[in-house]
Amino acid sequence: MAWRWITAILGCYGFAVTAAMLTARLLPARDAMARVEATGWPMVLSFLLYAVVGLWSLHEVRLGRVSAVIWGGAIAMAVLLKLLGVRA
Amino acid sequence: MSGKGVQPGWRQSMAWAHGWLGLIAGWILFTMFLTGTSAYFRPEITRWMQPEIRTQAAPPAQAADSAVRYLSRVGPDDLQWYIYLPDARTVATRIFRIPAKPDPKTRGNELDLDPVSGAPLAARDTRGGEHFYRFHFQLQLPHPWGRWLAGLCAMAMLGAIISGVITHKRIFADFFTLRWNKGQRSWLDAHNVSAVLGLPYHAMITYTGLITLVTMYMPWPVMMNYAKPAQFMQTAYGTPADVPASGVRRPLVAIAPLVRDAERRLGGPATRVIIQNPGDAAARITIAQAKRGAINSRTPTATYDGATGRLVSRSGDAAAAIDTAGVMLGLHIAGFAGPALRWAYFVMGLTGAAMVGTGLLLWTAKRRKPGAPPFFGLKLAERLNIVVIAAFPAGMAAYLLANRLIPATLDGRADMEVSAMFWTWGLLALAQLGLPARRAWTMLFGIAAAFWAAIPMVNALTTSRWLVPSLLDGDQLFVAFDLSCLAIGIGFAIAARISARPAPKTPGRSRRSMEPAHA
Repeated sequence: MAWRWITAILGCYGFAVTAAMLTARLLPARDAMARVEATGWPMVLSFLLYAVVGLWSLHEVRLGRVSAVIWGGAIAMAVLLKLLGVRA
Repeated sequence: MSGKGVQPGWRQSMAWAHGWLGLIAGWILFTMFLTGTSAYFRPEITRWMQPEIRTQAAPPAQAADSAVRYLSRVGPDDLQWYIYLPDARTVATRIFRIPAKPDPKTRGNELDLDPVSGAPLAARDTRGGEHFYRFHFQLQLPHPWGRWLAGLCAMAMLGAIISGVITHKRIFADFFTLRWNKGQRSWLDAHNVSAVLGLPYHAMITYTGLITLVTMYMPWPVMMNYAKPAQFMQTAYGTPADVPASGVRRPLVAIAPLVRDAERRLGGPATRVIIQNPGDAAARITIAQAKRGAINSRTPTATYDGATGRLVSRSGDAAAAIDTAGVMLGLHIAGFAGPALRWAYFVMGLTGAAMVGTGLLLWTAKRRKPGAPPFFGLKLAERLNIVVIAAFPAGMAAYLLANRLIPATLDGRADMEVSAMFWTWGLLALAQLGLPARRAWTMLFGIAAAFWAAIPMVNALTTSRWLVPSLLDGDQLFVAFDLSCLAIGIGFAIAARISARPAPKTPGRSRRSMEPAHA
């Protein structure tokens, strides 16, 4: 039970953070204003994603699957972010 | 969810999640709701807590001019001045200095000035409405822990709202169902009615609350698109880049014509003036416009060269995402709202507190078995419910009473007022442990009633701005404050009376009470 709550609180925050960062990095940003949009929207919407994946992690009975999706997904996105680097 | 086995349905698992998220965050959320709701009247509470201040109104240009004259005398070498201009809700000009060499003995270098003369206003030292406002998101904890804890509770609230909606089979029918004196069923109905009645408000206030601190909770996307976060702030908000002081002394240009020029360019009255490097050749004056009636809390600005008065820059159109965040922030703090809408916000805030409070009571009511001794978790939850729902409001009243009872000229009185709130809360929390739970509810509701009802009485005994003279003077703020405190006191007296009644018999479990509303 403790691992499920740790995953729901910390893991899902990490998942929402990396997903928001990846979205910000991948959205098109042809000029200065578009870059602000690409940064701002993932920031504003990230809490909704956090809530949804957090509730799913409490709903899904298979803890291994929850861990794989949440922690694995966050790590995979973090690796991708490392490869992409900061937008030039 | 709660263990190994067959995958439960969404309604069942969300009922479980709703119950635990609500319970764990509920005690803090209740205090956040109460203090946040009172913060809709933050300037008004401050004005009530400084009854000595009776100043004449002044236009923004005049208030800025008088404030700059004062600041030029006391802090000509300061790094920065912030001047918050008076408006319909605040009578004084508030200034904040950042000196070149900060004095550790001086707290904040913040001061209220007469908007006409620029002289410091002689009034009792108090945190005013700012205390409730800050507690709402800082929880009186060291930075940044209070803000993180408040954010975590807000996330739990968002999760509880979504899971609560999924849990309910018939959300429309729940709106019209309230069965009195039926024990657990009554608490379920009260929780459903308060939750469904204010659902749009609760969802809005929770999500927008998270957005108020989005740059703290979710700054990470900035790191992927900007090498320096300051670049994002400058592009997104039109914040002018900091200019270092040149070291060459040059007098500041007259401020009043600049304020009038900014008001003409921006199309509304000025609300804030920020002066960087005053008295230096590289001085910068940024003037922000108050957007009266606009929901977006983002204030447009014009920046001038402080030595020549030349317009340097003006904030332009913002990105849609930034405007959206500005609107969300505006919806949360309700700075755009007129008196009627602000009272509506206040009432909805109280329904939020009622929703959380009834949810907490429902959790204990559901687990109390007739004839069976309560288990430890149930006793703990029941005692924490009493501490938060009955004792915390008494502590809030003690803060307001301390404002009138601590001598106005006493050193350190502002901190004493705050201490009065937490000592009262803490002592009542301890005292209730000596009574059976049922009597503790009655006693603490009774004390809260007495404290809130005492506020207008103590105000009458210690100031000349009590109910009758305020009515005769047409001083709506002081009249409304006294009457509101009296109404809150009556509310707690009714709660004390109801809690003193014998407990209703727990009804048999009907089909409806078997629903997985809150596992």
